[in-house]
Amino acid sequence: MKPSQKKYINLRVAVVGIIFIIFFSIIGSRAIYLQVFCYSDLCQKATNEYIKVVTTRGKRGTIYDRNGGELAVSIDVRSVAAYPPHIKDTPTVVKTLARELNIGEGSLRQKLESRRSFVWVKRQVPPRETEAVRKFGFNGIDFIPEHQRFYTNRMLASQVIGFTGIDGRGLEGIEFYYNRYLQGKAGKSAVLKDALGRIFDKSGGRAEANEICPKKELNENLSLAQIRDAKNYSGNNLILTIDRTIQFIAESALTEAVTRFSAKSGMAVVMVPKTGAVLALAHVPLFNPNSFASFDREVWRNKAITDPFEPGSTMKIFSASAAMEYGGCKPDTIFFCENGAYKVGGDIIHDTHPYGWLSLEKIIKHSSNIGFVKVSETIGSESLYKTLRDFGFGEKTGIDCPGETAGSLSHYKRWSEIDAGAIAFGQGISASAIQLVTAASAIANDGVLMKPYIVQAITDQTGVPIKTFGPQKVRRVISAKTANTVKKMMKSVVKTGGTGVNAAMKGYCVCGKTGTAQKVHGKGKYTKGKYIASFIGFVPAEKPEIAILVVVDEPQKDHYGGTVAAPVFRKIAHKTLNHMNVPPRNKTDKLTARGQGPGARGQRFEDL
Amino acid sequence: MRVERKKRQVLNKNSHSEANSPQSAYDAKLLFPALFLVGIGIVMVYSASSALALKKLGTDYFFLKRQAFFSVLGIVLLVICRYFPYKLFQSLAYLFLIIAFFLLITIQVSGLGYRVGGAARWLRFGNFSFQPSEFTRLALIIYLAYSMSKKQDKLEDFYIGFLPHVLVLGIFAILILIQPDFGSVVILGSVTWIMMFVGGVSIKHLLVSLFVSLPVCYLFLISAEYRMQRLISFWDPWQYAADGGYQIIHSLMAFGTGGVWGAGIGNGYQKLFYLPEPHTDFIFSVIGEELGLLGVLIILGLYALILWRGIKIAMDAKDTFGTLLATGLTTAMGFQICINMGVALALLPTKGLTLPFLSYGGTSLLLNMASIGILMNINSVNNNSLN
Repeated sequence: MKPSQKKYINLRVAVVGIIFIIFFSIIGSRAIYLQVFCYSDLCQKATNEYIKVVTTRGKRGTIYDRNGGELAVSIDVRSVAAYPPHIKDTPTVVKTLARELNIGEGSLRQKLESRRSFVWVKRQVPPRETEAVRKFGFNGIDFIPEHQRFYTNRMLASQVIGFTGIDGRGLEGIEFYYNRYLQGKAGKSAVLKDALGRIFDKSGGRAEANEICPKKELNENLSLAQIRDAKNYSGNNLILTIDRTIQFIAESALTEAVTRFSAKSGMAVVMVPKTGAVLALAHVPLFNPNSFASFDREVWRNKAITDPFEPGSTMKIFSASAAMEYGGCKPDTIFFCENGAYKVGGDIIHDTHPYGWLSLEKIIKHSSNIGFVKVSETIGSESLYKTLRDFGFGEKTGIDCPGETAGSLSHYKRWSEIDAGAIAFGQGISASAIQLVTAASAIANDGVLMKPYIVQAITDQTGVPIKTFGPQKVRRVISAKTANTVKKMMKSVVKTGGTGVNAAMKGYCVCGKTGTAQKVHGKGKYTKGKYIASFIGFVPAEKPEIAILVVVDEPQKDHYGGTVAAPVFRKIAHKTLNHMNVPPRNKTDKLTARGQGPGARGQRFEDL
Repeated sequence: MRVERKKRQVLNKNSHSEANSPQSAYDAKLLFPALFLVGIGIVMVYSASSALALKKLGTDYFFLKRQAFFSVLGIVLLVICRYFPYKLFQSLAYLFLIIAFFLLITIQVSGLGYRVGGAARWLRFGNFSFQPSEFTRLALIIYLAYSMSKKQDKLEDFYIGFLPHVLVLGIFAILILIQPDFGSVVILGSVTWIMMFVGGVSIKHLLVSLFVSLPVCYLFLISAEYRMQRLISFWDPWQYAADGGYQIIHSLMAFGTGGVWGAGIGNGYQKLFYLPEPHTDFIFSVIGEELGLLGVLIILGLYALILWRGIKIAMDAKDTFGTLLATGLTTAMGFQICINMGVALALLPTKGLTLPFLSYGGTSLLLNMASIGILMNINSVNNNSLN
């Protein structure tokens, strides 16, 4: 190699070196530009991509009965979800998931083959199934913690409690009415996710979003701290006035009667007359709110609150109250009952058994319709209307349940000739079960009408009450004296010769009234063979502890309130008084002192 | 006169080498940057790949173990090449070319070809795969250095200095293009061009070839949809954030979030499936995020040191073959570094090229270690010949 040649070669090698010096300078400058001058901008852009705002809902509150028994609880479960773009071997995944989770292959394939970034595979899956799926370790399959509503007593008080949808929102009953309180609060939090959308943990805990860009404000005011303590996000609990045991007593007695008489349905309400607290609200047929979708929506309804019906003869106790308050009647005031048939305007009124002259007390005892037409004539339309309005007919009671009906009681000025008489014995008027039992409670409560209620307290997650509901007086309807007189007459109904003898109990003095109403079909026509048998009453007569209404819809073998509903009343009343430790009048029958046993806990809430 | 100057030069050199005599067997300025980079590479490959490996293979150590294994193998190869007299490569030049040719053919015709993402670039041997295009690069450099040093006085002649070398390049370029691996072809072409420039091929021929190859490159670019997409999204990556610009913007975000000091080793987020190929093509972005500007500049400095030593060794080489071989090896490494970093910093459109010593990849690591060994051997001959 010639030295001159070497010199030129070296010169050219140096040129190559200079080229690299230039390239490296560009690279270095670019790095400085990006990492120093574009720092905030790029950092912000990256952070926005890493952050995922997660909204989590706290656990829904528990619903307790008056003694602290759980009626509805939320449990932690997991739901299987999928990120379809990240699933590799879709056919295998579809096959496996369908098998392990017991779901349809077709709809699952459709979901997983879609271009959506997130789909639910199966909501609220038992741990056994999630574990089975987890073992396969598929990409793009996630297990998301959720809460599932569980009704511990299954069918018990199903129409009252209602149920929640899959997303935890109350859809019916108390769950719907108090959803605002029960629902867990929504907690918004910022978490970091990888590009696959998976939230990742950093050094044990969740990474703080502002770790990436120190001193840099995130575009939303988010903080991760709160979410950690999910308890703070739990919903509030409800304590009902319902007593699980009494509810069960009522439901069993009602089911028995509905079965025995092949009836269409039945309801029973047990109320504390002094306070208006509802102890039981039973409907038959029942449904299981854990699988509400598999039941006819017809049975979801809390009919005692939502459905008005023509009460029939049970109305007579309220017209009798009006007669004594405004008509100047006394229990021994006598009326001529026309021997079973009485023409008013164009209609003829019949009695089941023909009677001649009867005292007011006997008219109630034998439940004479003609008698009550005569009684209504002494009251006058206006006073009858006013009294019934005061008892709460034609207006909502204001009970804390959704969908309450006001029933119907038209204004007395629009009444036709027959209406006053018909309304007096319970036709041409409609009322809900809760209205009837509340009105009857007013008689038991010395003439004072109380507002019915079903939730006595709302407590926070630690059990501290944040809101309590106590007895609320609505108005005085009749004088205490009148109330006492009506009670006395109602006592005679269950005595020998009365229509309600089947409600009589050993040791307790029962006040009651039967009702047998033909069902109205369409436009005011009464259907033959379709009846509503009912019994309303309270016990013990001297100091009423419970008022009970039993309604049996369309009993087949027998249709009289006295034979169909009265025995149910007796059963419920007897067992309930026993449960509540109400001593019978005859002290040798029962010696348990009040305030002990299971009833004692219930008192705590009564004070609230 | 000339002799006297040479003597003085010799004396200077001698005193210089005596000062460095304890480490004279290995060029410390070359060895330490290389080893340091390999070390950083192992750490960063693990950091960048652990999440990926855990998800795809179920063990986060998969890439770390392999990179560590190849690093050890690379050091062994470096030592072998350090003592293998580089002049012997002259006699191996054609053999290497033939081996490279057959390896590239084998990929296409036999079942040994191993495809990743639609490209057949690897030959599979059991658990390991070999990338023939990396070996082709070494073979071509040796051939060019040998051929041009042999024809040194006639290089100005088009038919002797230009055409044969371009034809050999063309054959290999086509074989690699059909894989397809455009990035490797760009490296091969650039290295050939630089070596011809340094060797003394007519500047006129070289400039003409440059003007002719530009439209060819353009036609090739627009011939494939994905290359065109890459090019379009390169101009405005934020506009195509969801598809073509995805890689670029995530690489930019990685550098951006790293800032001056970096997030710290292992603390980066972009490798969590945001950044594609975080352990190979985009390892520089992971370094930018986790080690910050400081780390980036240190890496740049280490590479600069290696390239400077390579250039220096080329200049000091006692024969043209040595000069050209050193130039070729250094240039190939330099281009690979510049293109990979240029892509990561969004200065160049996306290419599937690895970063020497740092990226995960056995073949690349082995051949770069071999290159360092060969450079050291050239250097040792330079020093010894002075004594």
